[in-house]
Amino acid sequence: MTDSVAEPAIVLAGVRKSYGRTLAVRELSLEVQRGELFAFLGPNGAGKTTTIKMIVGLLRPDEGDVHVCGHAIGANGVAAKARLAYVPDQPFIYDKLTGREFLYFVAEMFAISAKQRDRKLETLIRRLDIGEFLDHLTESYSHGMKQKVVLAAALLHDPAVLVIDEPMVGLDPRTVRSVKNLFTEHTRGGGTIFMSTHTLEIAETLADRIGIIHRGELIAVGTLAQLKTQARREHSLEDVFLQLTEVGDG
Amino acid sequence: MGDASTMDLMRDAGFSPDTRGSNLELLLRVRGRTVLNRAAQAVRDAPLRLTAAALLIGLIWVGLYGLFRLLFVHLSRTPLEATVAIPLVFNFFFIAMLALLTFSNAIIAYGALFGKSESPYLLTLPVAPLDLVTIKYLECLVLSSWSLILLGVPMMFAMAATSEEELFYLFFLAFFLAFIPIPGAIGLFLAWAVARFFPRRATKAVTLLAAVGLTAVIVTGLRSLQLGETATEVWLRSFLTRMGFVQSALLPNNWVAAGIDHALHGHFPQSFRYLGVTLANAFFLSWLAVRIVSGRFDRAYDRASSSRGGGRRLAAEASGGPAGWVFFYLPLPLRLIAAKDLRTFFRDPAQWSQLTILFGLLILYLTNMPTLRLEFSASGWFLLIPFLNLCAVSLILATFTCRFVFPLISLEGQKLWLMGVLPMPRGRVLLAKFAFSMTVTVLVAVGAMSLAAFMLNLDVVWTAIHLVVTMAICFGLCGFSVGIGARLPMFGQSNVARIASGLGGTMNLLASVALVALVLTGVGMATWQSLYLEADTLPSVRSLMLCAASGLVSVAGGCAALWIGSKQFNRVEV
Repeated sequence: MTDSVAEPAIVLAGVRKSYGRTLAVRELSLEVQRGELFAFLGPNGAGKTTTIKMIVGLLRPDEGDVHVCGHAIGANGVAAKARLAYVPDQPFIYDKLTGREFLYFVAEMFAISAKQRDRKLETLIRRLDIGEFLDHLTESYSHGMKQKVVLAAALLHDPAVLVIDEPMVGLDPRTVRSVKNLFTEHTRGGGTIFMSTHTLEIAETLADRIGIIHRGELIAVGTLAQLKTQARREHSLEDVFLQLTEVGDG
Repeated sequence: MGDASTMDLMRDAGFSPDTRGSNLELLLRVRGRTVLNRAAQAVRDAPLRLTAAALLIGLIWVGLYGLFRLLFVHLSRTPLEATVAIPLVFNFFFIAMLALLTFSNAIIAYGALFGKSESPYLLTLPVAPLDLVTIKYLECLVLSSWSLILLGVPMMFAMAATSEEELFYLFFLAFFLAFIPIPGAIGLFLAWAVARFFPRRATKAVTLLAAVGLTAVIVTGLRSLQLGETATEVWLRSFLTRMGFVQSALLPNNWVAAGIDHALHGHFPQSFRYLGVTLANAFFLSWLAVRIVSGRFDRAYDRASSSRGGGRRLAAEASGGPAGWVFFYLPLPLRLIAAKDLRTFFRDPAQWSQLTILFGLLILYLTNMPTLRLEFSASGWFLLIPFLNLCAVSLILATFTCRFVFPLISLEGQKLWLMGVLPMPRGRVLLAKFAFSMTVTVLVAVGAMSLAAFMLNLDVVWTAIHLVVTMAICFGLCGFSVGIGARLPMFGQSNVARIASGLGGTMNLLASVALVALVLTGVGMATWQSLYLEADTLPSVRSLMLCAASGLVSVAGGCAALWIGSKQFNRVEV
């Protein structure tokens, strides 16, 4: 089976999720197209991480459906996950493996040949500057080093959809620039990125479209220009964000 | 456009995301690699620790071998009794193991499947739930069954020494390995059921289940021990009848016990038949548990991750009050740190539940003591039983302080900067930890000992002696755990069990057991002197001096450990 190019990369249809009595996400419907970098913004506790966890299959929606590249994440989870890569804000990494062993594990998990793996890895090692510590046990890594290795693991199999929560936390400015370039190249190559962040500057410069979630509700979605129109603001994304989430509070 | 590049790459790699096979082999290889890396690291970085651990295991094995050897030699002197007793001993041993391993497998499986570390990561990869559950199940079997191996190996050698059958070793080992998956499968299923049906209070549910089970076992045991008839033979017959259910043909402990007994006597065809029954059940239960759990895993995982217990707020409110005033005697900064630790203690079911279970069982035993109908006044029992109670309380205290007090300093590791910037000398943090642990242990231990003295109608002077010694032991054990915890910390580790089982934890355990043994030897000598040399119910001045010296040794030991720990803690760079 091959993926239909016309099919959106991510589809959330009427998704709703609650934790006990707390409604975390309400009636969320959203489509993210292939080759698009979508920035997902919102205040703390707005429902960003819950939405992301539903996209990657860690949580099941109480109502509604989630599809990745045409595959329902619930019913055909493995097929959908084969097209996904997820980088959480606190990434997991086996502490008793070296960075290289971890990357080899991920490559084998996605059935990438040794030749392909080595070719891709060579580029990622150079671009993310991870060569120096890649053969040390990951337990000795700083947060930034771990983040770089996890990013390399996510990009190693060239996923159709990359879901990423706070991508730049702990990275030095040079790596931030490299990651921005990698993201741009990934979307130019047809990949999709769904990125949650509090760093509005990154969303402003990288995102094709921006979605703002507040109290579990998607209150705005569109290009930066469309959001400015909606908020009746001509200034930065920060102004737009504050304006829209303030309206939500009211 | 589209994800052409992704698909190209996948095709180049001969990969079709829809026709993937099992990842179990890959996951097993990663486990193997992490074990090898861990072993290489231990050999390279901590050879002393490795040697100490090997020596300790060797010591435990030698001790257990001696104990089992004594038992089996004693039994073999009376062949008729041995014929009845040996299968019964095995039956009891394996039914106890069945209960303990089921419980430990349930706890480990819950953490492994629904915890926050590896499972969420694997769930975002194209790993089938069947592979994920299978790898976690195998991991649980290895992690939870080491205690059975630890107990089983010396038992095997002790038994083999009384048997002339060489094939016995092979059969014994095979029975152990065949038995382990049975409680493992039940534990896996229980963990899944708790996540699926009681996710809000998962830890509490597992703990409650275990507490109820253990209480039922203890109550049944105590009732069976009650001497309804004075004649030993009648009592023994009645006891065996009551315990008859243990030998039910439907229980796996009976298959293993009968099989081992047959192997011991060289009846290998019969033993092989029992081995077949055990193996078939182990495979079937494992297959069933893994299939059920993996088939319904995503819903259980979602329930476990989505539930935010309303009880947490209640627990926070309930524990917030007492934590504020229970340390009224401490100066303000120390009071705040001790209150913080008490709140953490009350809000972590793993901590308070284990203390509750340990002392709950002790209290159950103490309150049932009069029903044993021992003639206290007619013999030395009137002092011996309270002394044994003191031994039990001391050993439980040592277990508790090693498991929960020792890791307190290490757990501050990631927040050490906070301790470093507090407006007080850093050494005082240790005092706060000590005050917290001392308060909790004294309240519980003195309560248990007072109850014991009341139930046994113990003389006031001896009651006072036992209470003072209990407080001194609390002082010594808390001082050791806090002091050694600061001297040999594991700041990078957040797992309490790993901190407690590390080098520092092992040293603390050995030191604590040595301290308890020293103090109890002193009190034991005083008790013996009163009972047999002076034949008096009241202690002589010499006995009093012995008890006081024992208590002082404990207090001095605690002070020394605190001093050493505080010197090191002041030097730690934040």
